[in-house]
Amino acid sequence: MTAILETRQLNKRFGGLSAVADVSIAVATGEIHCLIGPNGAGKSTLFKLIAGTYAPSQGEVLFRGENVTHRKPYERVGRGMSIKLQVPSVFRDLPVAQNLEISLQRTLSGPAMETEKGRLLEFLQLKDDADRPAGVLAHGQQQWLEIGMALALKPALLLLDEPTAGMSPQETERTGDMIKSLNAQGMTVLVVEHDMTFVRQIAQQVTVLHLGRVFAQGNIDAVIADPRVEEIYLGKGHGH
Amino acid sequence: MAPIVNTLNGPQTLGNGRFFWTGFALVLMIALGYPALSDPYDVGNIAYLLLSTFTALGLSLMWGYAGMFSFGQTAFFGVAGYTYGVISINLGATGGLTFLCLLGGIAVAALFAALLGYFLIYGRVGGVFFGIVTFATTLALAAFFGQTAGPEWAIGKARFNGFNGMIGMPALELPWFDENITLEGNALYYFVLVLLLVIYLGLRILVNSRFGNVLVAIREDPLRTELLGYDVRKYQLVTFVIGSSLAALSGGLYTAWGQFIPPASMGLPAAAMPIIWVAFSGRQDLTATLVGTFLLLLVFQTITVYSQQYALILMGFLLLVTVLLIPSGFVIGVGRLLGRLGRGAAS
Amino acid sequence: MFAEIFSIAFQFADVFAFLILAAAGLAIIFGMMGIINMAHGEFITCGIYVTVICVQHGVPLPLAQLIGALSAGMVGIVLERTIIRHLYHRPLDSILATWGISLMVTQGMLIVLGSSWQGIGTPLGSFAVGGYTFSTYRLVLFGAAVGVLVGLYLIYMRTNYGVMARATMQNAEMARALGVRTQRMYAVSFGLGAALAGLCGALYAPTMTLIPTMGITFIIESFVTVVVGGANVLLGTAPAGILLGVVRTILNAWYGQIAGQIGLLITVIIVIRMLPEGVSGWLSRRGG
Repeated sequence: MTAILETRQLNKRFGGLSAVADVSIAVATGEIHCLIGPNGAGKSTLFKLIAGTYAPSQGEVLFRGENVTHRKPYERVGRGMSIKLQVPSVFRDLPVAQNLEISLQRTLSGPAMETEKGRLLEFLQLKDDADRPAGVLAHGQQQWLEIGMALALKPALLLLDEPTAGMSPQETERTGDMIKSLNAQGMTVLVVEHDMTFVRQIAQQVTVLHLGRVFAQGNIDAVIADPRVEEIYLGKGHGH
Repeated sequence: MAPIVNTLNGPQTLGNGRFFWTGFALVLMIALGYPALSDPYDVGNIAYLLLSTFTALGLSLMWGYAGMFSFGQTAFFGVAGYTYGVISINLGATGGLTFLCLLGGIAVAALFAALLGYFLIYGRVGGVFFGIVTFATTLALAAFFGQTAGPEWAIGKARFNGFNGMIGMPALELPWFDENITLEGNALYYFVLVLLLVIYLGLRILVNSRFGNVLVAIREDPLRTELLGYDVRKYQLVTFVIGSSLAALSGGLYTAWGQFIPPASMGLPAAAMPIIWVAFSGRQDLTATLVGTFLLLLVFQTITVYSQQYALILMGFLLLVTVLLIPSGFVIGVGRLLGRLGRGAAS
Repeated sequence: MFAEIFSIAFQFADVFAFLILAAAGLAIIFGMMGIINMAHGEFITCGIYVTVICVQHGVPLPLAQLIGALSAGMVGIVLERTIIRHLYHRPLDSILATWGISLMVTQGMLIVLGSSWQGIGTPLGSFAVGGYTFSTYRLVLFGAAVGVLVGLYLIYMRTNYGVMARATMQNAEMARALGVRTQRMYAVSFGLGAALAGLCGALYAPTMTLIPTMGITFIIESFVTVVVGGANVLLGTAPAGILLGVVRTILNAWYGQIAGQIGLLITVIIVIRMLPEGVSGWLSRRGG
């Protein structure tokens, strides 16, 4: 399998603080890859370096074989990434359907767009809310809508930063099912997450970050079995 | 016909139904018939009010739709006016050439907008600072042109005349078969009315298009919009240039209408007027902006006959009251009410 | 040679004083509340007229200036209590509201006060260095500008109010949770900003002809200084004043006043292209 996304010796320093240090990871085409680690491990910073909202101090980001280190976020999206940030950021004052249209209109128009919009509303279980402003949706629904907006771009790689933050256990599980069904249709997914239950539900490959560095890497079962991983989680507080 | 109507209507404009378009047709009829019922002086005067609405529509596009606070519409108004003066005076323009001079004025203002916009938008100057810098720009231009009284301040035959403003440029002349029609009175009125119709409908198509969808997305959340793959800053720059060019159109037409452009058109209180028109009317809707601006201009002009100071106090008061009582704008509020009534009547 | 150098330094001091005094009040209100006070010019005008009226009634100039500054401050607090406080969470609307007020006040003053008044004349005479003469009062203005900067530093770094105000500025939510009465912080800050604007007017009152629209004389300078300085008043205003002061002094000397003003604007546009958060944003990022 070829790597769709690769980081090489990525570094990000804020003043004197090194938030991400020498991180090299590879995400293979077709897998669900989870970035995990205790709070402050540098997950979100790494995510932003991959998305392009931060520029690295050193190192490279390669996407589909191309060096995109100095590409702006919208250029990365244009090349097939799709990004959902941690804080739900839907267009609050615009109707749910229009939120999706803004995303869909990049690739589709006319009846094809209407069909796809209907399909997505169905998939996200937001059909009844299509004409309501996105801001009035429940927190979990907003997260789904945003995942839907990311999906509407038909990405080769879906990047999700803590997609289940603030969700109930039922909502979390549904989100997991959603991600797995997308993956089954061939989409590569990179998820930043600290909820281990959720990670166990979806992950195939896992990268553990600790203090800004890669602490362990491998398939989910091997990583979970690694006593050192359990130690940093327990030692640094178990998260949620 | 149906496809055209569909591009005119959409989520970004109020008034998409039969009720609205019937009213629209009615207003247009009245506007077309108005000169027959009035004397040419009043008609020319109404033409002057109408040509100011371009500035307001441009500001509504930038501020209401794309979320960019340009407090400097008057800068582009003035630059286009002075440029029209300089070009037309030096060419001794008559006939169709006057229109090229007008286009030249707008082009120079648009270029200026592109330059200023590039620095602000690509410098990621957002929100309040965008307003301040555009505001300072128009004030600085007013101060600059205000001190160009000496004979050394001239380009070719065109003297700037400092505080008194530039004079002596020709009116617009429309070539019509073998003669030229000077655009004043009724002719000017019909010309501006047609132009307004074209621009209003054109802007409706623009804001209800994919482009408009992206604009409101940027207004709501620029980062989210960029993460959907849009080059946000390019959209902002294009919008800024379009909006500013509409102010330039007003400025060029105003200068040709009055054959006069003073620095005061860029200073205070002039710079506050577009903000007041658009805020009072309802910046997030083109129709509300158009209707409200026209009404405000009419009221302002009526009171100015007695006292300009009182007219300006009223404008300041209206701005304050709008902000405190109905921040989305008075006309938009009335429009939404009418829309509800209209739907009620239809069902 | 010394006379030339002194002359240049003097002109710089003059420009610097003007920028700092014009901007301080605007900067305080912006830094604290994120609001650009469009009625800033009218607070300056208030300071000017109160000072002149007091002097014409026999009050000694320094006392008249103090009264001028305080009355502007008082008007500021009233304005904050009646209008601005309703608009805390809508910074843009507070700008529009102050703009409406500005328009009403300027035009109202034109009606009430007529178009122009007699000024009171610049005090303290002049002194000579080499072949040049300089106005002594301009040195007082420079001293006052430095005094305002030092005063602000002391208020914000050394007083109880300053500590709470800075906490509010950084995180109003958190400050409230810690028991800071943020409402009062805003009222006091707005009053302080208005008083500083009034002080600017009071100090420049003796040097100008009086017209009700004179506030605008200060507007461009105050706005560009705040934009270049950025949100942090303590960190940004002085360096912005120095940078813009140098640019303006050079352009004034070579090309005249209006080139100086336009040069300021171009400097601002270039500075924000490179430092979007102003000098203070840049300095604090380097520091952190």
